[in-house]
Amino acid sequence: MLNLDQTIENIKECKHIPEEDVEEICKKVIELLIEEANIQHVDTPVTVCGDIHGQLHDLLTLFKTGGECPGTRYLFLGDFVDRGFYSFESLLLLLALKVRYPDRIVLIRGNHESRQITTVYGFYDECIRKYGSVNVWRYCCDVFDYLSLGAVVGGPGGVFCIHGGLSPDIDSVDQIRFLDRKQEVPHEGGMCDLLWSDPEDVPGWAISPRGAGFLFGENEVRRFLHTNNISLIARAHQLVMEGYREMFDSTLVTVWSAPNYCYRCGNIASVLSLDDSLARDYKVFEASTHSATTIPSKNPPADYFI
Amino acid sequence: MLSPRQRQDKNVRATDLDALSCRSSANRKGYFNPPDVYIDELIISYNKHLQFCSGYTNLSASRTLRSVFNEQKFPLINRGTYLRTKVLYDLVSSFCKEFAACQIISLGGGSDTKSFQWLENIESVRVIEIDFVESVKIKKLAILNSPKLSKVVGQTSDESVIISSHQSFESLDPEFHADRYHLIGCDLREIKEKSVSDNLYKCIDTSLPTLVLSECVLCYLSPEENKMILNNFSEAFLNKAYLSFLIYEPMSLNDTFGTTMTNNLSNRGLNLYTFDHLPDLTSRYKFMHDECCIPNVKLTDMSTVAGYEGIKEGFKPWIDDADLLRINKLELVDEIEEIKLLFRHYCLCYAELPYGDKHFRSLEAYHWRI
Repeated sequence: MLNLDQTIENIKECKHIPEEDVEEICKKVIELLIEEANIQHVDTPVTVCGDIHGQLHDLLTLFKTGGECPGTRYLFLGDFVDRGFYSFESLLLLLALKVRYPDRIVLIRGNHESRQITTVYGFYDECIRKYGSVNVWRYCCDVFDYLSLGAVVGGPGGVFCIHGGLSPDIDSVDQIRFLDRKQEVPHEGGMCDLLWSDPEDVPGWAISPRGAGFLFGENEVRRFLHTNNISLIARAHQLVMEGYREMFDSTLVTVWSAPNYCYRCGNIASVLSLDDSLARDYKVFEASTHSATTIPSKNPPADYFI
Repeated sequence: MLSPRQRQDKNVRATDLDALSCRSSANRKGYFNPPDVYIDELIISYNKHLQFCSGYTNLSASRTLRSVFNEQKFPLINRGTYLRTKVLYDLVSSFCKEFAACQIISLGGGSDTKSFQWLENIESVRVIEIDFVESVKIKKLAILNSPKLSKVVGQTSDESVIISSHQSFESLDPEFHADRYHLIGCDLREIKEKSVSDNLYKCIDTSLPTLVLSECVLCYLSPEENKMILNNFSEAFLNKAYLSFLIYEPMSLNDTFGTTMTNNLSNRGLNLYTFDHLPDLTSRYKFMHDECCIPNVKLTDMSTVAGYEGIKEGFKPWIDDADLLRINKLELVDEIEEIKLLFRHYCLCYAELPYGDKHFRSLEAYHWRI
């Protein structure tokens, strides 16, 4: 039988978790996620977190900064995996916490929670390396397909939370509710855009240099806020050196929670705490000093052009 | 046991493997159009001969090669590798077109294959490659054992060269000479020594308009050594012919990315000696112009060259839209901010010493930040 509390401690210490336990956690998470709407309603107070990208030790710092779960309610905006060296442990920790405290942690999908992207950016290889087969990667990818696409914090006049941003195909939050989300992230269309788009100083919509999603400007944000009675868009998806950045007269914020991203970028990270009146409190934190010593010395990545 | 300097040198030489594996990865992913047919010939030579380089055993060589070449490169590394290769290749090609009979001196190019492409595509060019003795031997053996490479350098022989021990590798002459192509092994830090300099300049034609190319080489030397090497070439060409330097280097920009880069590379045993003294484009301009006395100095960074930044300020990307569109389609890039950050920390510098009324006119067609 799975001992969840013990497993959570083991994951935090990066101990090997038996494959059966991984499978069970994934199954239980799917049972919970299948009940969730495409856009989750989340109560205040809540702490909103951006990209994690497999930086387990920094995720542990995040919980120290924002308060441990379940004491603090959390909303994670996706991109749990890829790039960092501990994608598997980071994801599994969040999934285990979800199973243990389903009402205290909400997970939504990022563009990296996808079969195609994880085969390019490291999570697939990490699973093979740690378990010797594709099984755990498959269990995790099944979970990805059930993750919600977004959340609204605090009801009318509240905060719309999404991994990437807006889509020219989607004018209202209600339209998102009708999407069939239980699939691999498509290469185009509304669901893709929500996970891939970026705000930018452009009039209207523009082509994204990422190759997926769009760039959207201030007017599109204002229109979306007005149509949907929303006061703020909180999103992640883009590295911000200062940990967070408000744009468009503070109607949109990017929250980034992976300090010293890829053990290279030298940035700080943040989480956004929203209280009952939706007042914003950004808590910034730096990279765990631990992480420098826990980068596996074998196979250092070709981080630079040398 | 290797001395600290020998160890640093070994690590610097190993950066060539890293660069080769990046080019190989970008090539496999379809970035190079047409594909680079020479890269694999260099990899074959490394596979055969790295074990005979100093500080390597059969076991450690195969471990190193496996870890370098089996690792999947991230799209941003593939993209950056392509853009750098393309930009430098095109700029040098346009130099060759403008000057017709001319000469390229490549410093520390290791297993770079651009020289072979210039030889193949530009009839009137002479190419001289200078690198550490061991890197030169790897390349020489690649040429001698590859019909493709021997053909392109214009010297074919039926005999292949078999190296089977540290000793036979050690005793291999670190030079290769063909009509339009010379490969010379030496330590650039010793360029002022008479024997080194004599040997070098007997292959260099100081009457030809010449471009000296340096990619991620001078950063591993001190600013004093940089100056000494640049001056050595300047003096050799003084009152004889046009000379220019094309330099691609990382820079720290004195920010947290730069600091992290310093730490990460020093963990790999690589010290970036120019980082403190030449952190940004302005300090590099002063260094090249004021200290090295080069009259015409142009500088920009790779993020601007590739069109990730600077468009609003009026800087035109060096890569045309169609090509950018083509490579954007090859792989989804997950983080544009990271690309900007990384590319911003690489500078491109063109510095020329005009001769009479000769200067590189096409230079004006490229947008530089300084």
